[in-house]
Amino acid sequence: MQTNFTPSQLRDPRIAEANAILQTCVHYGFCTNTCPTYVLTRDENESPRGRIDLIRAMLEKGGAPEPDTVRHLDNCLSCLSCMTTCAVKVDYVHLIDRARAHIERNFRRPLGERLARTLLARVLPHPRAFGAAMALGRLTRPLWPLLPPRWRSMLDMIPPRVAPDVLAPQVFRAEGAVRKRVALLAGCVQQALNGDINAATIRLLRGHGCEVVIAAGSGCCGSLNLHMGREEEARAFARQNIRAWGRVRAGGLDGVIINASGCGTTVKDYSHLFAREPGMAQPAAEIAALARDVSEFLWLLGLRKPTARVPAYRVAYHDPCSMQHVQKVSEEPRALLRAAGFEVADVPERHFCCGSAGTYNLLHPEMAKALGERKATHIRSTDPDIVATGNIGCMTQLSYYLDRPIVHTVELLDWATGGPKPPALHGVTLREPAPAASAKTGAAASTAIW
Amino acid sequence: MVTVFETFFSEIATAIGADAVNRSEETLSRYGENTMPGGDRRPAGVVYPASTSDVQKVVRSANAHGVPLYPISTGSNIGLGSRSASSAGQVVLDLGYRMNHILELDERLGFAVVEPGVSYQAMYDELVRRGNKLMLDVTSGPPQGGMLGNALDKGAGYTPYFDHFGFSCGMEVVLGNGEVMRTGDGSLNHERLVNWHTSKYSFGPILDGLFTQSNFGIVTRMGVWLLPRPPAVQSFHFVFPEDDDLEEIIELARPMKMSNFVPSLFRVANDLYLCGSEGESPEYRLSNGRKSISDAGRRALQQKHGLGAWTLSGAFYGPSAAAIEPQIARVRDHFMKSGKASYIAHEVAARIPPLKVAINAFSGIPSLGELGLLKWRPGGGNIWFLPGTPMDGKIANEFQRLCRKIYEDHGLDYTVMNVCGARFARGLHVITFNREDPDERARADTCYRRMSEEVAKRGVFVGRAPLDYHDMHFAQTMPGFQQACAAIKKALDPKGVIAPGRYGIH
Repeated sequence: MQTNFTPSQLRDPRIAEANAILQTCVHYGFCTNTCPTYVLTRDENESPRGRIDLIRAMLEKGGAPEPDTVRHLDNCLSCLSCMTTCAVKVDYVHLIDRARAHIERNFRRPLGERLARTLLARVLPHPRAFGAAMALGRLTRPLWPLLPPRWRSMLDMIPPRVAPDVLAPQVFRAEGAVRKRVALLAGCVQQALNGDINAATIRLLRGHGCEVVIAAGSGCCGSLNLHMGREEEARAFARQNIRAWGRVRAGGLDGVIINASGCGTTVKDYSHLFAREPGMAQPAAEIAALARDVSEFLWLLGLRKPTARVPAYRVAYHDPCSMQHVQKVSEEPRALLRAAGFEVADVPERHFCCGSAGTYNLLHPEMAKALGERKATHIRSTDPDIVATGNIGCMTQLSYYLDRPIVHTVELLDWATGGPKPPALHGVTLREPAPAASAKTGAAASTAIW
Repeated sequence: MVTVFETFFSEIATAIGADAVNRSEETLSRYGENTMPGGDRRPAGVVYPASTSDVQKVVRSANAHGVPLYPISTGSNIGLGSRSASSAGQVVLDLGYRMNHILELDERLGFAVVEPGVSYQAMYDELVRRGNKLMLDVTSGPPQGGMLGNALDKGAGYTPYFDHFGFSCGMEVVLGNGEVMRTGDGSLNHERLVNWHTSKYSFGPILDGLFTQSNFGIVTRMGVWLLPRPPAVQSFHFVFPEDDDLEEIIELARPMKMSNFVPSLFRVANDLYLCGSEGESPEYRLSNGRKSISDAGRRALQQKHGLGAWTLSGAFYGPSAAAIEPQIARVRDHFMKSGKASYIAHEVAARIPPLKVAINAFSGIPSLGELGLLKWRPGGGNIWFLPGTPMDGKIANEFQRLCRKIYEDHGLDYTVMNVCGARFARGLHVITFNREDPDERARADTCYRRMSEEVAKRGVFVGRAPLDYHDMHFAQTMPGFQQACAAIKKALDPKGVIAPGRYGIH
């Protein structure tokens, strides 16, 4: 694609980067067929190709963007399905982040929207504040009908039940001989919603010979703020993490483990976030190189032998977009679940987002609902006993549309290797697996004809 | 004054819904885009029917107002036309948006019935969801490409069910006059049709072929046969070092296919076809795209990826890898006897991305890897030249030398894969060029035309063609063929509303 930035604009390294990305797009349009918002609307401006054109025009013009441009760019889920599909590998993730930062700096949103976004940016990254906000939200339920629709739909997303567990900085000793020493990103939203995930992760890692450090000073990865265009706030969170894990490195560090894939994507990209910040580029790149999704790390360690007491339940594995489209981690969770004895079902249209997408389901409830329902239909079609995934956002989003228990992959692995039954399965009657579950697969069933 | 188009679109909006018509500026601009040298073709509008009945309404309205329609399935026909109509001002009938359902899937008899918008990925997902008992044949192109559109354009894959039109069975077609016709056993005037998608050889003439590479009707439903999924797929790969080794490769491959000892087709890909998917040409920017890549540059790429001037790939199917081992051993002995080949085993090939593409294709798994070829040169230009050669080594090598020379005369990079059957190999020639560079664009155009003329002089025609060259190729056909096409067009689409100009039929 040809661009028309002035030399003066191109002196800004952020514009220079955007320009280089824009020039790689040649409008093949493969992205359109896998972009959820385009597939649902058939609106070119709701496709990656269309948005790239809008970004080009917005950045070339400079200053305040058009409200329509902001609307179409806001509607992007950043699921990055387009990046998987793109034949020429346009670096869309960094382009849309650049566009969002430009909008944040140059566009004055209506008051209600400003308030909502500020509230999310200030509250979600802090688990205790988020927990308190949810409690307050629940208490004021009788007043919800009086609120504007935007606020009502946000409050509707407060889960009916949460299991918070905010971890203090500490070190969890390895069971047996120490094989690895790792730092765990305890997370923000996840700790306020579901402490079982960290508990299962820590048990699993310890059981596999890992010393697990919750580093003092580490916290939100910055992802939520970054994707709302609040780049400096994101950098501030990331800087704290890099410094906190940097201190842990003094005692040896084999990995920074992340069990919320949206966060993992951001931590793995810290090198880009700090590429132009003297003094931070190097440590950021070092931390990014250590970042691993928990499933990646466990696969490398090798899953210890599962106990025999967990039946081979049928598990539908839902790929979080951040894991499949950015981190390219899709085989490891499946392989681990199989190794743990479960029957794993792939979900049709797995490249499609479930509508969670960070704060997307709070800010764009209608599209998020359409995508959530679509995903739930596909998951249900696989007839699973349990749904497993690797991101708290997806777990929460799916819980609104699915009537099957949803757990994090690590909770099942933990259970199969001696940990407790995942709390989400308590009180749920699961079908007894057929004796030869594997006979369901066609290849095995049809061996005779070959 | 209300134009014919305004009346037409208004009528369509009333008949099938206002949201079935899209005339936004962005839509018109993007649906006109393609990758060919001749430029974009902006349509007059885009219509999204949801059913065969909707298609009938649109066709009847088009007849009433003399509006030309251009049906597409998923619009992923990159290098051959994308979503672009035959000429600007036609109305794109996008069947992929709403007519994208798998209507039937019979696992006992091994067939599916699909609407035009069903992609390879969607079918694969559905088969996996049902337990992976059946395997579809895929192209190595975009997973979101449409099965029905590909079959109608005579597309192909690589497994024993490679011939997508050949393994289709039973169509529903809206003819140019708006009438609906069922082909094959579906022609029986009865509500319950038992053999529509299981038997091609029913009463009367086989009309299905009329709707391939033509514009006589709009196919809204088609049966597709599916292979029982084999428990094991084991590929084999042989690397040959020299360009002229193609002669020997073809001679070695032919008996393996004539006897059907090897059940898959052979992919005989040259160095750039395989390495080109891994990044931009390392020499493109040195000559500003004016020169072909050097022999030294090609050798460096071959070494980098552990490949040669040619790589032959094929696959066996069986109950287990161990059971297939004797067949692999025999094919290995056969190809190694030349003394030139080196062997790459399945497990090793699975770690070489360009060969992993082949393994996926042999396994009926849609994958994206080969699309990387499209970035070999910047600027998004891409056309496919698709002639064929008999499975005769001397002739195949003569064509190799001829086309390689023509590419080089035009400063372009010879990129080809011969997909070999028993008697014939389709030569998938990729012309990648910078569409934003007028000189390079013109060279790509001349290169295509020159190759078309030269192979035609030697008695060879193309099997599929990019939109830019439909008229040129149609002019290469004999008068009797042209007259027959014109007569059929007049009979089935008397007002000429369906894709006028497609495959040269006006």
